[in-house]
Amino acid sequence: MHELSLALEVIDMAGREAEKNDVTIIREIVIEIGYLSGVEANAFELALDLLVKDSILENAVKQIIRTPGKGRCMACDLEFEIKQMLSACPECHCYPSEISGGREFRVVSITGE
Amino acid sequence: MCETCGCGEPGEFTIHNHNHDHYHNHEHHHDQGHDLTHEHSHEHEHDGHKHSHSHAHPEKKVINLNMDILAENNRLADQNRDYFEEKHILCLNLVSSPGSGKTSILEKTIRSMIASRKIFVIEGDQQTTRDAERIEKSGAPAIQINTGSGCHLDAKMISLALEKLAITDNSILFIENVGNLVCPALFDLGEQKRVVVISVTEGDDKPLKYPYMFCSSHLCIINKTDLLPYVDFNTEAAMNYARQINPDMKFILMSAKTGEGIQEWIDWVCSQKI
Repeated sequence: MHELSLALEVIDMAGREAEKNDVTIIREIVIEIGYLSGVEANAFELALDLLVKDSILENAVKQIIRTPGKGRCMACDLEFEIKQMLSACPECHCYPSEISGGREFRVVSITGE
Repeated sequence: MCETCGCGEPGEFTIHNHNHDHYHNHEHHHDQGHDLTHEHSHEHEHDGHKHSHSHAHPEKKVINLNMDILAENNRLADQNRDYFEEKHILCLNLVSSPGSGKTSILEKTIRSMIASRKIFVIEGDQQTTRDAERIEKSGAPAIQINTGSGCHLDAKMISLALEKLAITDNSILFIENVGNLVCPALFDLGEQKRVVVISVTEGDDKPLKYPYMFCSSHLCIINKTDLLPYVDFNTEAAMNYARQINPDMKFILMSAKTGEGIQEWIDWVCSQKI
C-alpha cells in the first residue's frame, strides 16, 4: 500500500528537519491528513507505527489532524463540509460545483530537544 | 528482486533496460537545476521555568514545518515535466486496474504510429519484464521498472528510467503504470496528461468506487467494447458516473482487439499540446 512509502517519507523528513534545527530527539510530531487527500489515515498510522522503530520518531507521540474539504452546491449554493468524494448537499442532495481544501497531507510540526 | 535477471534487492525497485537500439541514441542531459521550495520553518524557543539548581536541562523546541509530504515527489515530477517540455516530449501516464488492456492498447498504438512518430515506453509492474518485451516486439524501445512489493510508480523512478532510456526530441513517451486504481492516483510522475483505462468487464460503477483516480485523469478509455454483448455494462451510466467525479472527463470507446477507437485515440494523442 502506498501509505508505507508515505510513512517512510515522513520519517526521512523528520530526520532532515531535526538535523537542520539541532534537534536530536523528537517528542511529538503533528501530521495533517485531509479527508480528501487520498491517504487512508488508519493505514498510514499503522505504517508509521511499524516503521518508526530505530528511527528519530521512535519515541515521538503522533498527533494526526483530520481536515474536511468545503463544497459549494451547484444547485442551491449552500456551502457544506465534505469528508469523502461524492458527498452530496445535505439540503438538496445535488453535488458540489467546486470543492476547496481537505486535500492537505503534511507534517505540521515536530517538537523535540 | 527481479526474477528474470536476479538484479536488485528485496524491497527495492529495479529498472531493466534490455532494449535494442530502435532509434539513434542521442546524448541527453537530465536537468537537475529545477528546485521547488515548499518548506519554511520557524523556531520557537520556550522560555521554560526557572530552576534553582545548577545543571541545565534541554529545552523543547517546536519547529513549525507545514511541509507537504509529497513535496519531494512533486519536485521531481516538476523536474521531469520541465525535461519533457524542453525536449518537446509528450508524456502520457496510463493507469488502470490490472488486466484492462493497457499493454494491448499500446501495442496497437505503436504499430499504427511508429512510421510517423518516435515512441518510447516506460513499463511498471511488480515483477517480470513481460510487458516491456511485448512493447519491444511491437517496435518501440521500452524500459521496465519492477517495483517489487511496491504498488505504484513515482517521480523518482521515472527520473531514473529517463537517464537510461535516451528519449529523442519531439517523441511520445507512454508510461504504463502498475495495474492499480488506488495508489498511483496520488503520485504525479511529471506527465502532461493522465489516461485512465477501464474495461467493460469491470462494471460501469468503477468511477464511483475509485473517485481519486477519475478525479485526477483527463481521458477515460473504455476498452474491450467487443465484449459488450456478453456483459451487463451500461456505457452511458459509466460515463455519467465518471462525469460526476470529473465534469471535464473525455471518453473514447475502444476495442484494442478489433481496432475500434484506436484512430480516435491516436488523433487525441496527436492533438495534445506539449
